[in-house]
Amino acid sequence: MTSQASKRLFKEYRDLSSNPPDGVTAGPVTEDDMFVWEAFIEGPEDTPFEGGVFLAELRFPKDYPLAPPKMKFLVEMWHPNVYPNGEVCISILHPPGDDPHHYEQASERWSPIQSVEKILISVMSMLAEPNDESPANVDAARMWREKRAEYERIVRDNVRKSLGL
Amino acid sequence: MAFQSRLKFFSSPQVKTPIPDDKAPDTARSTPGTKTSCDDESPIASLDAPSTPPPSQRSAALSLPATLAMESSFELPDSTDWLATSLPAFEPLEAALRCEVCKEFYNKPVITSCAHTFCSLCIRRCIAIDGKCPACKSACQADKLQPNIAVREIATKFQEARPKALELACAKDNDDGETAAPASGRKRKREVADGDEEGRRTTRSRQTRRSTRPGDEIITHDMPVVIPDSDEENEDEYIPDGMVPCPICKKPMKEEAVFNHIPICPAAQKDTGTRKTRSRKDYAFPNPLQARRKDNDPPPTRLSGLHYPMLNDKSLRKRLQDLGIPTWGTRQQLVKRHQEWLNIYNSNCDASDEARKPKQELLRELEDWERTQGGRATAKESHIMRKDFDGQNYAMAHKNQFDDLIANVRKRAKETSKPREEKVESTPAGSSGSDPQPAQADKPEFTPDPRHPYENNEAALSSIRQKVEEANRTDSAFPPLSHNTKDANMKAAQDAGIHQDKIPLGFAPENPLGNPTRKVPMFRMPEEPVVDVESSTTIQ
Repeated sequence: MTSQASKRLFKEYRDLSSNPPDGVTAGPVTEDDMFVWEAFIEGPEDTPFEGGVFLAELRFPKDYPLAPPKMKFLVEMWHPNVYPNGEVCISILHPPGDDPHHYEQASERWSPIQSVEKILISVMSMLAEPNDESPANVDAARMWREKRAEYERIVRDNVRKSLGL
Repeated sequence: MAFQSRLKFFSSPQVKTPIPDDKAPDTARSTPGTKTSCDDESPIASLDAPSTPPPSQRSAALSLPATLAMESSFELPDSTDWLATSLPAFEPLEAALRCEVCKEFYNKPVITSCAHTFCSLCIRRCIAIDGKCPACKSACQADKLQPNIAVREIATKFQEARPKALELACAKDNDDGETAAPASGRKRKREVADGDEEGRRTTRSRQTRRSTRPGDEIITHDMPVVIPDSDEENEDEYIPDGMVPCPICKKPMKEEAVFNHIPICPAAQKDTGTRKTRSRKDYAFPNPLQARRKDNDPPPTRLSGLHYPMLNDKSLRKRLQDLGIPTWGTRQQLVKRHQEWLNIYNSNCDASDEARKPKQELLRELEDWERTQGGRATAKESHIMRKDFDGQNYAMAHKNQFDDLIANVRKRAKETSKPREEKVESTPAGSSGSDPQPAQADKPEFTPDPRHPYENNEAALSSIRQKVEEANRTDSAFPPLSHNTKDANMKAAQDAGIHQDKIPLGFAPENPLGNPTRKVPMFRMPEEPVVDVESSTTIQ
């Protein structure tokens, strides 16, 4: 018996592999377990992340798509919306009804009609345009606001590191 | 524009003919846009052919890794199936007939008060979580949902027509031969590229769905023209190299794929299926009317929700019992199970009369849910003992395992017993047996004992002193053994070893040396009073 969740994940995997969006690759780590995925995200052009390829992990709950997955970068990321441990903090990944800060619009948050593809695209646009209103990494947010050059230097260093240079 | 032209191309009668030469003038006639592209491509078709595989191969490559595709439990038709065929415009059509939550064809579709349509079960589950419509996030109530009968009919009928249509759409490319496949492939690529340039990528499926909707209608009108009379002539003709035809539907495929294809061969179902549907096709909504005439059962009543905070555990359990669903688990699990039961039961009420399932079936679905998402799914649950858990039976059933585990532990203990004996001898009787930390046993504060058992044992005492010194000096967890200490304790260690070997499970050991702690089997109190030989007092 396969649950609705793994069926839907399988469909999304199929969609992503037959019709992949630009700059993103994703799929389950092993085919035995559809609930843990790995994703490669290209750094968007015209940003300090350009040229980088960032590995991230997606963990899906058993009641997916009712609840969103958790996403975590497995490489070093210096970004206002990424926690120092790599966890991504964007509104599309926040479950409905869980908004302690009341800064997000309900429409921005997770809904069962969202998908892995939309999450990854949102993350790409997050890389290009950080949201410093509710930073996950306060230091990075301050640096992004006040010392943009230094921020970009650190990001470019990380890009080089992620490529193993 | 490109879309329109392709449309004409498929519905025109010439399409059926397998001769490639006929095709070129036909497309050339359609519109200037495609004319140029086709004209461009036909001369180089033979060059393109090797690089662009025939559609069946292409779709195999597009779909998944072989292991996944073979898994029959995961046979998942998808709207993207159409992309590789000659009818890519069916992709948005099919996507429009699928629920946005589960991505399956609408199953018992209902419409919300905000006019969005979902599967009944999907939207009920969503509402149970946050009470909002997943599409527009406006407030939504489960009791405002209404069955969307038109969508239900369309989705069911489309599903019935799908295998045949897909088969035809795949077969057509083959009939057109080598010229057609590259041409349509090019066009498709070009389309995708356009989409990218306009930055439509993020909302692709939705936008294309909107933009092509009028086209879809045209196609569906034209469909019957294509379907009925192209059946036989089309199928058993062109078979590419390295492919064999399916014995049932004659669709060409790789030889190793035939075996997996046969159980799901659309033609096998077609023979019974499509004939019937075709005769029914003329009526717009025949079933509800017919069914209503025959139906004697009263319309099903939906269950209403409970206000959980108002109920204590006992009355909640009682409610579940009245509904005939399991009542084990924590309060939270009871609530979740009740919610899921409402979802399952009420969504069943949204089904058409003849598709409604008996309660037994629904209970099985609840059981499935329990296994995958409910109380039995979480690892946490397995550690909590249920109230009606029969411990004795479980112990009996698993006695062998327990015995094995005990034997293992004893064996391991024996292997380490030599080094342990050393320190055991040196420590007071009370603390040694269960002490897993060698370092602690060697600490000086453990040595004083009110009864001074080693007062007269000079060898033992000296070995203790030596160990303590070593421990203090090296600060190591366990001082290295020296021959000296070994000799001093040899006899006792040997005795202990022998005894351990011989003790059968569950026997209190006899204890000639008066060192009770080592020889007692783990977790078992000696059954007879133990005598301290030196002081001749009885310790209990």
